Amino acid sequence: MFINYEHNNHIYNVTVERREDQFFITYDNNEYTVIATELKPGQLFIQLGDRVIKSVISQGDENKFVFIDGSIFKVKRIELTGRKKTEKREGDLHSPISGTIVSCKVKEGSPVKKDDIILIIEAMKMEYLIRAPYDGVIKKTYFKEKDQIEIGQLTAEIQKKEEKNGSH
Amino acid sequence: MFKKVLIANRGEIAVRIIKACQEMGIRTVAVYSEVDKNAPHVQIADESINLGDPTPSESYLNIAKIIENATKVHAEAIHPGYGFLAENPDFAKACADTGITFIGPTPEVIRLMGDKIEAKKTIAHADVPVIPGYHGIQQDLSTLLKEGKKIGFPLLVKATAGGGGKGMRIVHAESELEQSIESAKREAKSAFGNDSVFLEQYIDRPRHLEFQILADQHGHVIHLFERECSIQRRHQKIIEETPSPMMTPQLRETMGNAAVAAAKAVGYTNAGTIEFMVDGKQNFYFMEMNTRLQVEHPITEATTGIDLVKWQLRIASGMELTLKQKELTQRGHALECRIYAEDPSNGFLPSIGTLEKVDLPNGPNIRNDTGVETNFHVSPYYDPMLAKLTVNTENREESINKMIWALSHYVVLGVTTNISFLRKVLDHPEFRKGNITTHFIEDYFHNWLVTKEGLPLDALIALAVYDALHTQRQEVVRYKEADPHSPWQHVGRWRMGV
Repeated sequence: MFINYEHNNHIYNVTVERREDQFFITYDNNEYTVIATELKPGQLFIQLGDRVIKSVISQGDENKFVFIDGSIFKVKRIELTGRKKTEKREGDLHSPISGTIVSCKVKEGSPVKKDDIILIIEAMKMEYLIRAPYDGVIKKTYFKEKDQIEIGQLTAEIQKKEEKNGSH
Repeated sequence: MFKKVLIANRGEIAVRIIKACQEMGIRTVAVYSEVDKNAPHVQIADESINLGDPTPSESYLNIAKIIENATKVHAEAIHPGYGFLAENPDFAKACADTGITFIGPTPEVIRLMGDKIEAKKTIAHADVPVIPGYHGIQQDLSTLLKEGKKIGFPLLVKATAGGGGKGMRIVHAESELEQSIESAKREAKSAFGNDSVFLEQYIDRPRHLEFQILADQHGHVIHLFERECSIQRRHQKIIEETPSPMMTPQLRETMGNAAVAAAKAVGYTNAGTIEFMVDGKQNFYFMEMNTRLQVEHPITEATTGIDLVKWQLRIASGMELTLKQKELTQRGHALECRIYAEDPSNGFLPSIGTLEKVDLPNGPNIRNDTGVETNFHVSPYYDPMLAKLTVNTENREESINKMIWALSHYVVLGVTTNISFLRKVLDHPEFRKGNITTHFIEDYFHNWLVTKEGLPLDALIALAVYDALHTQRQEVVRYKEADPHSPWQHVGRWRMGV
């Protein structure tokens, strides 16, 4: 089955298949085969090769809390509608989250440098920054301040700056 | 000794006090507001009283209601814990007026120490150093300017009625003084309805050290050494330890004597704490006295072997302090962390919710003081401190390592907590070296984010396993419906026929 987890405004796409106590998990083009048991409700004992993962997970109304190696992560399982490809990649100009545009830093035609902020999206009282993946010129912006944006929507298009000849 | 004591508090401290009473054979009465009716302190008490409305002023702060109920159940004494009514002289007086023993100092002493300016004046008379400053009633601008110049810079302008940093200004130069006084006064007026301010020499990056005091009603006063409480956020302590890494035997003796002198100067009785500010040159200044049991009292108990709550009860019942200063020793090192339901990467804002799972670390010399458990709801009505974790070992380094181990096995799911943050603070090289001041968090953890690296792979694997385990049945059902020839169909029918 396909599952999308959201943590800190990032989306993680995972698939998992189960055969008895064996689980086949794929994430980021890697497959992991693990053997797992739930010792007590929410308390997992997972063997990954010669490594053991111990975790405690609780299921709240909206969020799951994952305790692992002394750290706790708040994670939400989300259903993606429409576009499937919303995994956060470096330089992705698609919105990783549904929210409100609080600031649009560029205009069409304006030049941008790699890592310049293009848009600031606010969701769940957190701000998420969309940055330019490379130097270039803004070809098109799809949103302005106070607009609502849905997860997976394209925020802007950038005309990539031509590489100079002989620059290796 | 008392036969029955009412505990006018909630959470971990109520649990702590109830246990001490029960060990001494004293019957305990808990009080609770509607939202706390299943809280641990109610469960372990011998009797409990519902105070109703969770709003503090209607429950844990309602003097009339608490006194009336204490009388009704024939409680001989009331232990106020810390916070709520613990330092309210009117409450101590109301107890006395009803013939109930208030477990703490007299109302007069509470009132005197509650007035920060009067307290400093009184303590200064006992030859205890106080921070140079102006605490006069003359509040006109020319007096304040003149006094400010006398103190020198940097100096602090602070609202007399202040708290939480409101009406407070740090003035670095004479040219800023007038404007700072005026703006502090404006802020104080709107926040507290009182625009009176005082001026004090500003000590940059001080340490916060305090001395535990025990004083009986027969004139014996002892101190139980220092606690270093410099690690604070929003002016509240989060990590405390004893002994302090900066302490020397000479300074300990000097400060300890000053603390005893201060307690004697005001005729203090019961357990109390003298707080000092210490600058980089080991100069110390009296800050204030807390006329109650402190949150961080367990580290003193861990290193001295003395039960402070039991001594509070004995002293309040009129018994003599049999502990002698010369016989007291401190062994090893103890460290306490306060576990808060709050988000360190979001301004330490409180986090509210139901605790879906609570599993505490155990082991030799690990102490858990807690007033919460699985399924407890953290409500917005009260302080978000959930629990305290105390460890003690032979030395500071071992304590830090033990605490990091314990924190990494501390499971509280359902609200955001400061546990990861505490671990990072303890593991900071400057903390390990003992180079700590009250500005430590601001200096080193200003824009700290708990999860800047994102979800680790192991968390994703655990989540996927969890979800696969918990959705499996539906998948099976779906296969069954989809394929009438599936073997699952036969299994189902066959089973139903049994």
